[in-house]
Amino acid sequence: MSKTINFGIDLGTTNSLIAKFEKGHVEVFKNPNGFKETLPSVVAFRNDRIMVGDQARTYAEKDPKGVASRFKRKMGTTETIKLTAGSKTPVELSAFVLKELKNFVHSGEQIDAAVLTIPASFDTVQSNATKEAGLAAGFKQVILLQEPIAASLAYANKEKGIDLRNSQWMVYDLGGGTFDVALVKIVEGELTVVDHEGDNYLGGSDFDALLVEKVIVPEICRRGNFGDLLAQMKSEKGKYNKLWYRLLHAAEAAKIELSTKTSAEIDLGMVSLEDEDGKPVDSLLTLTRSEFEDVIKSAIDGTAEMMKKILTRNSLRPDDLKFVLMVGGGAYIPFVRKRIEELMGISVNTSIDPTNAIAVGAAWFAGTKEIGAVEKTASPKNSRNLKIRAVYNKNTQETEEIFTAKFEGDVAGLFYRIASEDGSFDSGLKALAARISEDLPLREGAYNLFKFAVLDSGNNPVDVGFDAIQIAQGRYSVAGQMLPEDLCLVVDDVANKDTRLKRVFAKNGVLPAKSKGSVEVAKTIVKGSDDEIRIMVVEGPSERHSSTNKPIGVLLISGKQINRDLIRGTEIDLTFEVSESRDLTISAYLNGTGQEFSQVFKGTARQVDTKMLATDVLQLESKIQSEIDEAEANGNADAAQGLEKLLSQVQGLIAECGALSHDDVTDDRFKLEDKKRKVAQDVFELTASKRVDAAKTAYFEAKSEVAALVSDHGNDREKHLFREIVAREQTFVNSSNPERIEAATSEIERIRFAILMRMPDFLVGMFEHLAQSSHSMNDQLQARQLIEAGKRHVAAQDWEDLKKVNGRLWGLMPADARESDDMRLYTGIV
Amino acid sequence: MAQAFAMEIPKSILATLNNLYEIEKKLALHGDAGNAKRNIDKMKDIFAEMGVFYDDPMGQEFKETRTDLDATISGSGTDNLVVVEVIKPIIRAGDAAFSKVVQRGIVVLESREGSNEK
Repeated sequence: MSKTINFGIDLGTTNSLIAKFEKGHVEVFKNPNGFKETLPSVVAFRNDRIMVGDQARTYAEKDPKGVASRFKRKMGTTETIKLTAGSKTPVELSAFVLKELKNFVHSGEQIDAAVLTIPASFDTVQSNATKEAGLAAGFKQVILLQEPIAASLAYANKEKGIDLRNSQWMVYDLGGGTFDVALVKIVEGELTVVDHEGDNYLGGSDFDALLVEKVIVPEICRRGNFGDLLAQMKSEKGKYNKLWYRLLHAAEAAKIELSTKTSAEIDLGMVSLEDEDGKPVDSLLTLTRSEFEDVIKSAIDGTAEMMKKILTRNSLRPDDLKFVLMVGGGAYIPFVRKRIEELMGISVNTSIDPTNAIAVGAAWFAGTKEIGAVEKTASPKNSRNLKIRAVYNKNTQETEEIFTAKFEGDVAGLFYRIASEDGSFDSGLKALAARISEDLPLREGAYNLFKFAVLDSGNNPVDVGFDAIQIAQGRYSVAGQMLPEDLCLVVDDVANKDTRLKRVFAKNGVLPAKSKGSVEVAKTIVKGSDDEIRIMVVEGPSERHSSTNKPIGVLLISGKQINRDLIRGTEIDLTFEVSESRDLTISAYLNGTGQEFSQVFKGTARQVDTKMLATDVLQLESKIQSEIDEAEANGNADAAQGLEKLLSQVQGLIAECGALSHDDVTDDRFKLEDKKRKVAQDVFELTASKRVDAAKTAYFEAKSEVAALVSDHGNDREKHLFREIVAREQTFVNSSNPERIEAATSEIERIRFAILMRMPDFLVGMFEHLAQSSHSMNDQLQARQLIEAGKRHVAAQDWEDLKKVNGRLWGLMPADARESDDMRLYTGIV
Repeated sequence: MAQAFAMEIPKSILATLNNLYEIEKKLALHGDAGNAKRNIDKMKDIFAEMGVFYDDPMGQEFKETRTDLDATISGSGTDNLVVVEVIKPIIRAGDAAFSKVVQRGIVVLESREGSNEK
């Protein structure tokens, strides 16, 4: 158990963050909803719920009676914020923000102590108020730290080699809505804020509004007749009020882009922008960095004036300062850095992450502070003897369900909260009563999972023995018809000269269901010919072979039906629909010819085509034969023996098929089909794990070989890609699906190849190999010239050009005989 | 509330989906002579197979308990809010049976009563 505080919190005016020090590192926690590090410091009281952060901010401007923001600036005053829910003190509101930040800590550990940051401008009363907010939020120990000091600590811990003794610097903090600058110095070995200045109403969001007002709106007005567009946008009742918000978002995005580029485009093509005369207006605007800089120049110059005041007051010259440490979003703007450097003559330092520097610094500090003699209370076990009885529908067809619960025991002072696991719903904090109810919105056709928690006044969970709500909407209702087996599409597997299955509908899916997919034509179908492609759907486990599964329907498209040749490689878009009565509709759109084919297969009538049955049986025979060969080669006598038996059965079937006439009206073909399927299932079972094992072996071999290559020679991107594949390894390795394993292996091979292509040894080896094969190349003269050039590049160690020569030599190699032509394609689609 | 894990999708994929959504909207608005919608749908299917897809919240009701939207209110009313502009769609990761929000939709809301545009 750690004896240091470890948790640091930046309790900001506009945004707050929480970070933790652990084993020499600091982690900044993210909001489990939306994954942002920052939590807007906004609290809303609407319809008996309390909401904090993004949810609350939505109403901040429009419902001042229900929402409180920027209350940090009122800390330590007697002023209360009057809301419809009653008056709240800034301390109470800050406590809500702090409690919400506890939710960011994904480990779920209880936080008894924290370091909270305060602006340099806070006096004793304001500081004490902040401490009080921390205690109200349930911390038993609160240590305060000034923000400029926190930023400096973040810097000192990042640049460990730097010596800051006997020096002083300024911390320039231009945030989302406020600006602070402080002079920091080491006095008797301690970091101290000597002086500070600030503006409570200057920040990044002001720059967005300035961009809209001064640059974007004038440009739009030049393009059409708008009258007073700005007034129309800013007025709640104005015709263009919606546009104002869209433009603010666009301006913010452009501002961020202008930090790295010299111009940015605003594209309003998604909205139909019309002027007052109803004429459409060209909606692509270009903003330049210099336009942006002109707009914010006077504000930035104003901040420099404040810095100069500090210098004058402290009788300092610019060169007395070591640097200006920039934090807050403003630090991202190149102009801010440049302008401050220019006006102040002091170098600007931006080496720390401007967004989280203060929280990070607070956590570093917390990692050095021991937890005081705090009485460690046991986690709030259910000392109140609370009992819950929850009532709700676990299956429903509705898009909203009421959750109700009755409580026995003492509920006073407790809260409850329900939040969806998928991040789309949060009830906010609500006072617990003997009986509660909540409408839960449901996602259609999905499992809806919610967390339920009872919380004490410090936002600590109280165990009531019930913490999850699970409601299945729509398709999981037991009343619905379900698919008893997977439905799969049969496609050719050219590499293995076989077919394989692509799952179209999963077992237990509720009907009706619809699915889409696309396949490629494996061989060219000439117009007017008898060639055909078969879009065949079978029922049965998708990891099996098509021959083991029951055919449900085959849509045949022959050369006679198409209006022009269907070229190999053309895509076919497929749509499959299964009705409640299990009728299957297959529709195929041929991208090459623009034709659409569709057929309905009744769930009751079985489709067995005698011609296809014969083909199937023949194919099965050759498959068994090759499996026998393989089993014998591997010394697997048992399998070979089992397969021999099956082979004789299949040979019997071949004879029976031969006796069947094309228009046979008896049910013989169904019997035969069943027998064939039985044999195929047995074959599958005898050979089931073979492909998966082979795919796994290939994957692990490739992985271990490429791992060393990536770590020695890979660039950041390749390392990232490799790590990402390995990270999801469990999902495909355990899937019993060889296709997925093979796909991962080929991703790894691509990385291997990309790295090898940069390595001289490999390029030279490849060149030598190609040179040796030159006799079979298509253009001998060109090949000779290229080989000569290649030799020169090798001598000159000109690897880039050698790579090009290799590429061109490769192009001269004769195209491989088309494998698919040798093979008798079964479906004609891949 | 604290959740067991956070699913993060590479920014490049989110950016691609956001652009796909924009293209879809532009085609709907300005016409789609070449039937590019078919290609868009196919690309959406490919992403859905990878386990990411987007939802268009346009026209949906907004309640204060919704956490899948980053919303701004236009106009004066704050009751009976509906989504009237979508700047970015909601992106989810997972499949139809269970998915998680990985990008909140960025939207503009308007009260049905306070609506000043048809």
